[in-house]
Amino acid sequence: MSKSNKPKTLEEKLDLTKITTDHNYAHIEINPEICKAKCTTYDCVYGCPADCYKFTEGEEAEGPVVFDYVACLECSACRLVCPHGSVDWKYPKGGFGVEFKHS
Amino acid sequence: MSEEFDFDVAIVGAGPAGISAALILAKAGIETVVLERGQYSGAKNVSGAALYGPILNELIPNYWEDENSFERYLTTKKITLLSESKSVTIDADLRNFNQVPYNGVTVIRPKFDRWLADKAEEAGAMILPDTMVEDLVWNDKQIIGVKSGDEVLKANLVIIAEGANSMLVEKAKLAKKPKPRHYALGMKETYKLPKKKIEERFHLDDNEGMSNEIIGYSKGIPGGGFYYTNQDTVSFGLILNMAVLTKKKLKAPEVFEEFKEHSYIKKLLKDAEMIEYSAHTIPKGGFKHMPKLYGNGVLVVGDAAGMVLNAGLYIEGINFALESGKVAGEAAIEILQTNNYTKKQTKIYKKKLKESFAYKDLKTFKRASHFLDNRMMFTYVPDLLTGLFEKLLRNNGYPRKRIVTSAIGYVFKKGNLFGLLKLLIGAVRSL
Repeated sequence: MSKSNKPKTLEEKLDLTKITTDHNYAHIEINPEICKAKCTTYDCVYGCPADCYKFTEGEEAEGPVVFDYVACLECSACRLVCPHGSVDWKYPKGGFGVEFKHS
Repeated sequence: MSEEFDFDVAIVGAGPAGISAALILAKAGIETVVLERGQYSGAKNVSGAALYGPILNELIPNYWEDENSFERYLTTKKITLLSESKSVTIDADLRNFNQVPYNGVTVIRPKFDRWLADKAEEAGAMILPDTMVEDLVWNDKQIIGVKSGDEVLKANLVIIAEGANSMLVEKAKLAKKPKPRHYALGMKETYKLPKKKIEERFHLDDNEGMSNEIIGYSKGIPGGGFYYTNQDTVSFGLILNMAVLTKKKLKAPEVFEEFKEHSYIKKLLKDAEMIEYSAHTIPKGGFKHMPKLYGNGVLVVGDAAGMVLNAGLYIEGINFALESGKVAGEAAIEILQTNNYTKKQTKIYKKKLKESFAYKDLKTFKRASHFLDNRMMFTYVPDLLTGLFEKLLRNNGYPRKRIVTSAIGYVFKKGNLFGLLKLLIGAVRSL
């Protein structure tokens, strides 16, 4: 049986995609105040294909959801599904972010 | 070009729409710049991907003579319905599509887009990669250029070819932020599979290609899978209606993984090694949800213009991107001659576009997108059809009934006849 028959985890899948991270600029930011005050559906958690949005664990968190832009595939799903305008969405700066080679 | 402008035309986005416009303009000797946020043309782009040979041939005559232009010419189209453990496939083997300029060809976007961009560069267009256009430059109510970081680039005319999720279309006040129900999320995996294996698996001769649209087994979420053969890779993915996905509280990557658990998909991907994962949103609202296509000093083309057709049998974006880019290029030549860049003149683009197959197709299928969101299509219909075949083909030692009697009996037993009737009427009205 070839190794490809074993399903890859999302982390392993994301490792295949070339991403040049801009460590000085988060192209997407969420507003935890808005999330905390308004959100009950957490659509970003379900819509993101790269699992960049996760439910907060622990009580010290600023809001119900935490976000990390590093694995972002720049698809814009989170911007579109957020009904509260909590996602401040921009594209990464020129030359940064995903670099697809086979898609 | 007047003294104060850097270029006649500035195009944002070096995908098929932007490059197609650039190619037409550069060939006419117009000073054109294309600004691309990716490391190269196609670096940010995700597609199935297939396009029409005749459209590409119009833009680049005899494109097939250059082996970098495409992967395989499509001779087989399959449409598959999946239910829990079964599938039914329609397999259209159309070998007469093997003649140039080919009916359809598969492409790998980073490769194809770059190839197309090279053609525009050869024609004299300037392409600037690594350049993110963040904003537009205005003079009162007129767009007169683009901004990237601190740099300002002035142009008589700006063409927005930014793709799906165009921030500039919103900044140009040509559309509001789209609703999730008018967008779909596409996730894609590219797999390495030896050329010989691809050809054996799908009964293809050298360079012939197969595409497969796959409906059902997506947790009842409207959308569908796709599978396209390239030279020695295959493109596989799943498209999901975002509004339904989030409403069902299902995580997109998990729905994708479970889709791959179906035995039909497992066979498609057997022995194939994943080499890339990508995702993109797709404007699927169709004709009724396109932004304004022109404004003062600006035209909109391709996905940014919402020019994507979803009509089940036809799912198209690149063709419309190429066509709308070409029409915008031709319109821009006329607009530049008038030296007037207000809406009064830029509307030439829409007038011309209305004559194109792209606009006409979108109009013909204006009801299709809504119809294809009918959830019965994604669970009830695949269940009904696969179950019907099972019933008709099962041998159990009892005398058979007539096929028609058996089929009608089965459909009645499955129930929801009213829903089915509504679905059929919807299909007649929209497809």
